Amino acid sequence: MSQTAEAAFLLRSRGISRDLDAFVVAAGFSRDGRRTGFALGDGTVRIAQVGVPTDWTSVTVHDGAVLDFATDPTGDGFISGGDDGKLRRIAGDGSISDVASFGSKWVEHVATYALDKGKGLIAASAGKIVRLFDQSGQLLKELIHPSTVTGLVFDGKGKRIGASHYNGASLWFVAAKTDTPRKLEWKGSHTGILIHPEGEAVVTAMQENALHGWKLPDGAHMRMSGYPAKTSSLSFSRNGKWMASSGADAMVLWPFFGGGPMGKAPIELAGGDGIICTQVACHPKDDIVAGGFSDGLVVVADIASSRILPVVPPDHGPISTLGWSPDGTQLAVGTETGFAALVDFAKR
Amino acid sequence: MADANIQVPVTVLTGYLGAGKTTLLNRILTENHGRKYAVVINEFGELGVDNDLVVDSDEEVFEMNNGCICCTVRGDLIRIVDGLMKRRDKFDGIIIETTGLANPAPVAQTFFVDDNVKAKTRLDAIVTVVDAKHLPARLADSHEAADQIAFADVIVLNKTDLVTPEELDAVEATIRGINRFAIIHRTQRAELPIAQVMDRGAFDLSRILALHPDFLDGDDDHEHNEDVSSMSFEVEKPIDPEKFNAWIGVLLQDKGADLLRTKGILHYANEDRRFAFQAVHMIADGDFIGPAKDGDARASRLVFIGRNLNRPQLRRGFESCAAD
Repeated sequence: MSQTAEAAFLLRSRGISRDLDAFVVAAGFSRDGRRTGFALGDGTVRIAQVGVPTDWTSVTVHDGAVLDFATDPTGDGFISGGDDGKLRRIAGDGSISDVASFGSKWVEHVATYALDKGKGLIAASAGKIVRLFDQSGQLLKELIHPSTVTGLVFDGKGKRIGASHYNGASLWFVAAKTDTPRKLEWKGSHTGILIHPEGEAVVTAMQENALHGWKLPDGAHMRMSGYPAKTSSLSFSRNGKWMASSGADAMVLWPFFGGGPMGKAPIELAGGDGIICTQVACHPKDDIVAGGFSDGLVVVADIASSRILPVVPPDHGPISTLGWSPDGTQLAVGTETGFAALVDFAKR
Repeated sequence: MADANIQVPVTVLTGYLGAGKTTLLNRILTENHGRKYAVVINEFGELGVDNDLVVDSDEEVFEMNNGCICCTVRGDLIRIVDGLMKRRDKFDGIIIETTGLANPAPVAQTFFVDDNVKAKTRLDAIVTVVDAKHLPARLADSHEAADQIAFADVIVLNKTDLVTPEELDAVEATIRGINRFAIIHRTQRAELPIAQVMDRGAFDLSRILALHPDFLDGDDDHEHNEDVSSMSFEVEKPIDPEKFNAWIGVLLQDKGADLLRTKGILHYANEDRRFAFQAVHMIADGDFIGPAKDGDARASRLVFIGRNLNRPQLRRGFESCAAD
């Protein structure tokens, strides 16, 4: 990196950062976008108020590590799952309450969805079981899968929930009277899942450095391969035109339009230096994607022009999480070595 | 934070129900060594485990989509290792206890196949606990008992107080018939110095020779009735790497299901460094290690532990790899 490029990293001019001394498992924003939370491997959640340069609040939420973390669908805070078997709610003021306990099983995946009229859904998985709760923590359903659930996601309307597992994925209707999933089958170990925002496809990451997909509603198979590493992060652009993925030495974006992704080449952004991309996060309003790399570099790319904006220099350990605020003005960044940052993209 | 670049050692404890696996595990955990372990147990564990960090596992064995039928991994371990790495500074090593009926191959293969697991951890050794009194019956009624012995780097021959000295010698001879290369410790109530089972470096390529007292012996003529056996071969002439790769590649592809563990040290023609090689079924791993010491023989050696080993065929195959 030249001196000029070094000075151009947005973190320097528009970011705040902390060394939190524990693996940053996930970062997210409260529903109103006023708070950001960093969930850590030491069981704490650090809460910062966006735009307020005060100390970050530290709250011990789990006896162990936080394993997954999501926005509280109705409150002003977050929902977290831990390897202590607990699913907990963290309010904006740092107070903690229990949503559910899964015994000695790790709560590995948490997903939430905000419905209208103050309602919302909370889903969490431990082993083969997914439990679905309403916003108050009332249990609505218990969904059993053939093997351990490796990824959990709501669709764009909060009508269906998808879970990845061995030999495929299961799609469940949230409001169904009888619970029988739509089974999407493909042999092998599926390790993560994403649903197209318009419900046009389901995509999973696989153990063999490839992605698998099913077009909906017909279930036609899609295979996206050629990754040098496992894909751990997937993100659709706001209208579902592009799907960004980690696992290569660039952000790999597959076109989900014009008959794609099958038979179409993906575009690669911010590549060329042999460093593996570990995290991607599409912007909630514009066709912009943030990418984090194993050397700690974070960039933001404009998909149409392929223009790259450097955000965080490669100094703070492999990027483990990226998250945009609901209005897209803030980007939260976390690394495996405990570095956390909040970068301001608002117009000035 | 702990140095994220140091690979966490992983010890695998196998053995039949009632052999004394959990006794050994608790002994390792309670001994005053100042080390902290994350312990992965299966949900059918016999006894309580006294440890701060215990993870319940479901032993989910997955096939890989790579056209290799014997290439199975433990999907749960991939996730557990990933989860444990989020609190990496809380422990010094990982101990995985398998169920009594488990085949050790998927556990071992997980450490060769998954890139994240490979980057963050290293398989230290497979330790198998066997019950001196009941082993003959277990071998008679199951495949897994022989597999667990065949895979072992260290065998804890436990409950020696329950058999006569003659019976004990006979059971040890039976174990040797299956696996000549493991180190055997005779114990009561799984009592032995912890250093005999932890930090063995049994999968460390640079130590492959050092750990096998019998490795340097010539062929032996153990009489055995078990279907699993072990053999070693030696070639005095330097090896041609291309010929060896071609031969071992085809061998592992064709016979990988029967070849449980394969290890070797090779002296290539025009190369001072030695090439160390190991495989679990079809999954192989190899690298150059330091040169032989002056005065050491420059013979290349290969060890096979498996079923249906054809001694003349393996010998001819290995000998055909000699450089012209």
